[in-house]
Amino acid sequence: MDKLHEEKLFKLLMLASLAIVIGSLFLVIAVIIWNGAPALTFSMITQTPKGGYYLGKEGGILNAIVGSLYLAFGSMILALAISLPAALSLQKDYIGKTKAAYYIRLSLDVLWGTPSIVYGAFGFIVMLYLGMRASLLGGIIVLTLLQLPIMIRAMEEVIKMVPVELKEASYSLGATKLETTFGVVVKQALPGIVTAVLLAFGRGIGDAASVLFTAGYTDSLPRSLFDPVASLPLAVFFQLGTPFPEVQARAYASALILLIIVLALSLTSRYLSKRFLKNIIR
Amino acid sequence: MKNLNHISIEKVNAFYGDHRVLKDVTVAFPRKQITAIIGPSGCGKSTLLKCLNRLIDLTEGARVTGKIIVDEIDVLNSSVDITDVRRRMGLLPQKPNPLPMSIYDNVAYGPRLHGIKDKKKLDETVEKYLRIGGLWEEVKDRLKSPANTLSIGQQQRLCLARGLAVEPEIILCDEPTSALDPVSSQHIEQQLLKLKKDYTIVIVTHNIHQAMRLADYVIHLYLGELVEHGAANDVFENPKEERTRAYINGTFMTDLKIDSEVNLKGNVCPFNFVYAKQALHNIEKGKVLKLIVDDPLAVTEVPRGMEADGHGVLSVKQINKTDWEIVIRKGG
Repeated sequence: MDKLHEEKLFKLLMLASLAIVIGSLFLVIAVIIWNGAPALTFSMITQTPKGGYYLGKEGGILNAIVGSLYLAFGSMILALAISLPAALSLQKDYIGKTKAAYYIRLSLDVLWGTPSIVYGAFGFIVMLYLGMRASLLGGIIVLTLLQLPIMIRAMEEVIKMVPVELKEASYSLGATKLETTFGVVVKQALPGIVTAVLLAFGRGIGDAASVLFTAGYTDSLPRSLFDPVASLPLAVFFQLGTPFPEVQARAYASALILLIIVLALSLTSRYLSKRFLKNIIR
Repeated sequence: MKNLNHISIEKVNAFYGDHRVLKDVTVAFPRKQITAIIGPSGCGKSTLLKCLNRLIDLTEGARVTGKIIVDEIDVLNSSVDITDVRRRMGLLPQKPNPLPMSIYDNVAYGPRLHGIKDKKKLDETVEKYLRIGGLWEEVKDRLKSPANTLSIGQQQRLCLARGLAVEPEIILCDEPTSALDPVSSQHIEQQLLKLKKDYTIVIVTHNIHQAMRLADYVIHLYLGELVEHGAANDVFENPKEERTRAYINGTFMTDLKIDSEVNLKGNVCPFNFVYAKQALHNIEKGKVLKLIVDDPLAVTEVPRGMEADGHGVLSVKQINKTDWEIVIRKGG
């Protein structure tokens, strides 16, 4: 086969892969909008389920929206607070080159691939042992555990890309490791850090299995950290499980709401990181 | 009386793993003069520089033994506060490395680290050192814009200003012009010459011409060994060591005979180009032609064009405020 044909074949292959990716994504979104948009009413996002909601009567899923936002943002903040120092400590300047760092990375990679139901079951056992019942706090903690490996590894990758010359510049001005880390490394890696957080947030807000046992499900809004709380993925799951077409349509509407939340956060962070991006050294 | 030597190093050995990069180097750097460290690539020049401010600590598996005395402090002693040592030595890197922040913040970064918080004082410091770095006039209206929007030559002057803003006594330069165009290089060299009345300057270079233009004192390293050191005039004009002589002659024709000279002042490109070609056409192969030009474009473009034609460009240097000298050997 000559080079020209090779070139053409590869171009075709690349286009085909792109078509599969975009096509399937488009299909998923189209199905959700097609089925969900008609059922998406104002009361869906302003009311909690009334009696008979799951039979197709009055109400909305405000409980799940609020619950998911609490769970996702709570766990995101907690995970960020733990991940950033952890990722920074994996720099060469700290423990990055030690044997310990190698095993830490390995175990994070294994944790990344662990199914979320395992996290849920683990959280459930610990909570049983402590005598806790399903609660917002439990959900946040288990979601945090779920997000940690993603955040730490994704952040570490971008922190690793910070040019050593930038660190040298900082050190040669008499900066300490800490001053260099926060004054230069974090600044340079910021867009990547935002992406890492977003990646983890997406996993957190979309996960059903880990919150099934740990956060529980309820039709009312949470009043404290120790109340059980509903979430959108579980709302989708329960509504789809009913035999009534009206309720099933509401499941799609709930999925649509979930999509919109993720999209909104994505766009906001993109806008924000564009503002940070202007100082980045390429 | 204060010691004439600012930095004295004794029996310094540097290792990367098992590889010994510096071998028992003992030498001193005179105060408030420019010392050039010359030698071929891989001879340990940059390593020696990195030992002085212990930036070598950042390199994995690197180890240094011996003594480096700066103002009676042994830099290599592990109990020394290394951040304090480093702030006494500004570093001008090989490739400009502005920090990911605005022009203003780049210069203010060092002073802020060392405790200056007052806005007015910071403003003054930033202006002062941008002026010394020769950048103030070009950036005074856009101090808040990101440092990465500057040209590479401006970035290097920003790095100089940033290094000076922590008020060091020593400036370490690691081939500071190797990434720059001739005009920016010239600018940096002029700044360094101005600065030597207040600072001790150490410059690593493999550009012999640069060393000749700048240095008061020269250290020649070869494969990690100190070959020769002494006042620049002595070393360049009358090297004691054969290796030094060979190195200097290898890259620079001290007894270069100019066969023909053409003055192209007042011409602009592309006429410079055409006349240079004609002049080269009229001489024999192997003969040497000297051109004098005053068009800034010609300074970069004529040598480039002549090299593309297969001639050898021997040197390009500025001889006065407006004029440049280009020496070309006619080739195939």
